[in-house]
Amino acid sequence: MIRLSRFSVLCAAAMVCAPVFAQERVEAGKPGGPGLAIKSAKILTCELDGRGVVDRGVLLVKDGKIEAVGEARSLEIPAGYELVDVGDQWLMPGMIDLHCHAGAIESLLVNDLNDTVFLTNPGLRAFVGTKPGNKRLLLGLQGGVTSVLVIPGSGSNVGGQGVLIKTGHDRFEEMLLRNPGSLKVAQWGNPESWGPGVGKTFETWSIGDAFERGLGYAQRWEAFEKNGGEEPLVDPQWEVFRSLLAQETQASVHTQMYQVVLKTITQLKGEFGIDVYIDHGSIGAWRLGDIAEEMGVAAIVGPRTTDTIARGFINWGQLGIDDVGFRGLAAGYQERGLKLIGFNTDSPVMPEAELSLQAGVAVRYGFDDSKMAAVKGLTIIPATVSGIDNRVGSLEVGKDADILVISGHPGDPRSVIDRVWLDGEDVYNSATERRRW
Amino acid sequence: MKLNSKTLLFLSLPLLFSFSSMASSMAPLTFNAPRVLLGDDDKKGEDADEEDDEDRDRYLAVIGGDVYSGNGSVMRGASILAKNGIIEEIGHDLWIPEEAEVLNAKGMRVYPGMIAVEASPNIVVSTSRSADEGLGDLHVHPVDEEIDPLAVFEAFADELLEGRHSVEDSYDPFSQSLVLALSSGITSTVSNGTAIKLKRGEIDDLVMSENSQVSMAWSSKNPAGRRSLREKFEAASSYLRDYRVWEKRPKSEEDTKAPSEKGVDKNVVAVLTGQKRARFTSNEQGDLLSLARFAQQYEFRPIIVGCIEGWTVADELGRAGATAIITPRDRRDRNEMLNRESGSTIENAAILYEHGVQIAIIPSNTGFDMGGQSGRDLMHLPIEVGFAMRGGLPESAALDSVTVVPARLLGISHRVGTLEEGKDCDLIVTDGDLLHYQTFVQYTVVDGSIAYDKQKEIFFAHIRPRATEEVFDPGEEVAEDVDEAVVEDSEAATDESSEDSPTDEEGADEDSEEESDEGGDESEEDGR
Repeated sequence: MIRLSRFSVLCAAAMVCAPVFAQERVEAGKPGGPGLAIKSAKILTCELDGRGVVDRGVLLVKDGKIEAVGEARSLEIPAGYELVDVGDQWLMPGMIDLHCHAGAIESLLVNDLNDTVFLTNPGLRAFVGTKPGNKRLLLGLQGGVTSVLVIPGSGSNVGGQGVLIKTGHDRFEEMLLRNPGSLKVAQWGNPESWGPGVGKTFETWSIGDAFERGLGYAQRWEAFEKNGGEEPLVDPQWEVFRSLLAQETQASVHTQMYQVVLKTITQLKGEFGIDVYIDHGSIGAWRLGDIAEEMGVAAIVGPRTTDTIARGFINWGQLGIDDVGFRGLAAGYQERGLKLIGFNTDSPVMPEAELSLQAGVAVRYGFDDSKMAAVKGLTIIPATVSGIDNRVGSLEVGKDADILVISGHPGDPRSVIDRVWLDGEDVYNSATERRRW
Repeated sequence: MKLNSKTLLFLSLPLLFSFSSMASSMAPLTFNAPRVLLGDDDKKGEDADEEDDEDRDRYLAVIGGDVYSGNGSVMRGASILAKNGIIEEIGHDLWIPEEAEVLNAKGMRVYPGMIAVEASPNIVVSTSRSADEGLGDLHVHPVDEEIDPLAVFEAFADELLEGRHSVEDSYDPFSQSLVLALSSGITSTVSNGTAIKLKRGEIDDLVMSENSQVSMAWSSKNPAGRRSLREKFEAASSYLRDYRVWEKRPKSEEDTKAPSEKGVDKNVVAVLTGQKRARFTSNEQGDLLSLARFAQQYEFRPIIVGCIEGWTVADELGRAGATAIITPRDRRDRNEMLNRESGSTIENAAILYEHGVQIAIIPSNTGFDMGGQSGRDLMHLPIEVGFAMRGGLPESAALDSVTVVPARLLGISHRVGTLEEGKDCDLIVTDGDLLHYQTFVQYTVVDGSIAYDKQKEIFFAHIRPRATEEVFDPGEEVAEDVDEAVVEDSEAATDESSEDSPTDEEGADEDSEEESDEGGDESEEDGR
């Protein structure tokens, strides 16, 4: 009787304990879990300067961060690490899209992102529309896009504040990379629909006016923090300019056409001295590549990737200046000497999952990829430009373990993304989940 | 993104009308050119010359390329000889007539011309020059001094509202979009049910087949339509049964009447007898399943456009012998209420193919995007196919999906779709794997004539320009060492111009590996 009861107690204990153990066991690579070692034929480490590749390498992940990267023959895998060998497949950092609307809209009919009540709205914040489990972003995750800048639309000159988030995770706090991720400015080419009589001259004045006021506000705060005195009143409308002045965030500028992009560079960067990058940058603007390089302004190209011959009312390629049928935009900037060139989707204009194809098309139309410029334009360049390169954009020690397993060059539509780790967490595995993309 | 094609369309409509009406009303005053009458003698002389030209056989030799015939064979360094537009011979060491035009494809690949199984009308029908410059996506009839504005308006309304036009009457062999189609490697397409060959500067023998398909509707949202279609099939099949009995009747009963055709749909009869293919647009799994069963019941092989959820009922579609016209990047959300598979997957084409469904591929934009959002139109057909391969479609099936399968769908596979002796000489010469995203079409040959040469057109000549060609004289024996030197030279030149251009069989993977491998190999050597 006693024996039997002991046995039954053991049984009961086993039954109770088994699920408890299972729950407590944290997946390798995740914070608090055992280490993860990933072995691959080729690791595209994508550091900004340098070769960016390790052949026959191993990557160690611990607590959601990259612990070490190196050649398999020299890097020892510590005991207790879970080994994943991806064979001939490559590893690369998760891709970053600096122009995403899909993160805050799931349907094109609901357009909360373009509140064009005023012509300048620096106080509006895109993050209120973002949520975990956004279907478009989850599909983007299967396409290798792990971080995005969700920004307001271009219906007004200053659309509001963008937010940098990761595409996976269950909680917004885990997704968040930085808020404000940027201040969205639309230099020209859409705010016209705001009202009658709004054109390039007024829009330039309107942007200048907003920046004068905003930076003035920020300077008052800066002076107060430095010298003390009377505390300025908090004005949510202008708060974002404190981050801009401190260069903790950037202005992401919807801008295209030569003269408009020139204004972006000379007004926002030149006059106001804040960090600015060109978004879109199409319709002849590639001719400013040298000036952009000189002024330290990067170009994040898309969703248009080419200038084409004269079409309709807009002379897209500015035929007559040079008689070329199809001009790759990224190639144009590159030929003029610009180094920081990235890609965007303007999702859902281009689906989030197709970010990598934007780079592929650029290469097709003449962008020199011999030093991995296309892969870097999808990873470390957008990370650097948006100031999150301390966390994402490359597979370097100390950075977030946002890792893709991919069968070949990401620009090739035939390349398959098999697995995705986000902060060391196994968020997508084609072996266990239906491939949607 | 406000300046999309729709806005342009809206903006341009009123202008279009004003252009065309203005031009045609002004035309009688300004465009009436005096007609010069030629003397009889002159005319005779010209005709005689022409006849001489026509009598002479026209030869084209595409030499030295890797020939991907599309029927499974790959011949390295082979040549193709075409006589009067028909492939005469494919192989090595061909005899090439001295008068033959020679296209040197050494170091390049030769594929059958691609076939766009769907195309928006503006890629083939006439675009008057003013429309070409001003209205990209729209097309109007050329303004003729003898046409009155009302007729132009009516014809335009016809085309716009009802999609009615005859290809033969509207084909413009000099249009920009035609060159874009050829530059994309497309040599045949379809317009309003008529399969045509994309001839440049030529309008003879455009049409290859007409009305090879019958469009039918099948949707659970329209049960009445379904029932009526079922009834039509029932009536047609019982008519055919009666007809066959009557056909085989004993001779003594000759006076019996043939079965009545009253109420029998001729198109359905054509579908049931295999003369035409029935074509449906369907994406939803329930519709696809019932369509597959319907097709099995009446034993016809449906063409299904869209077929997004086809992968969930792939076995039934395979059993029905269906052909799917797919856009691999099309998306459809999974039905969260359903405790089973639904929605789109990139693997759709591959799964359907595994189950015996033939796959044809079209991009989401079946015209040419001149707005700069490249990668989703007919100009990037191989990229669209690349996405099917991303989902696991085998390479051979991927190639078939834009060549021989569309040819079968249009009833023209006896003439185009593969490179075989006796077939039309419609081919493309590429600088690498056709399905690699960086590959450009270097030459397009239609009916044995070079219709497109990348280096001679405005569009892509500046992108990775082709190395200067060697002059090839078929009559001359070339010494071997010289030959080799030339080959090396040209290889070096291609390497320089495009480090990444895939010239090897492996295409993308190998090349991109090479590209990032350079340093790796060095360090490895160092280690050793």
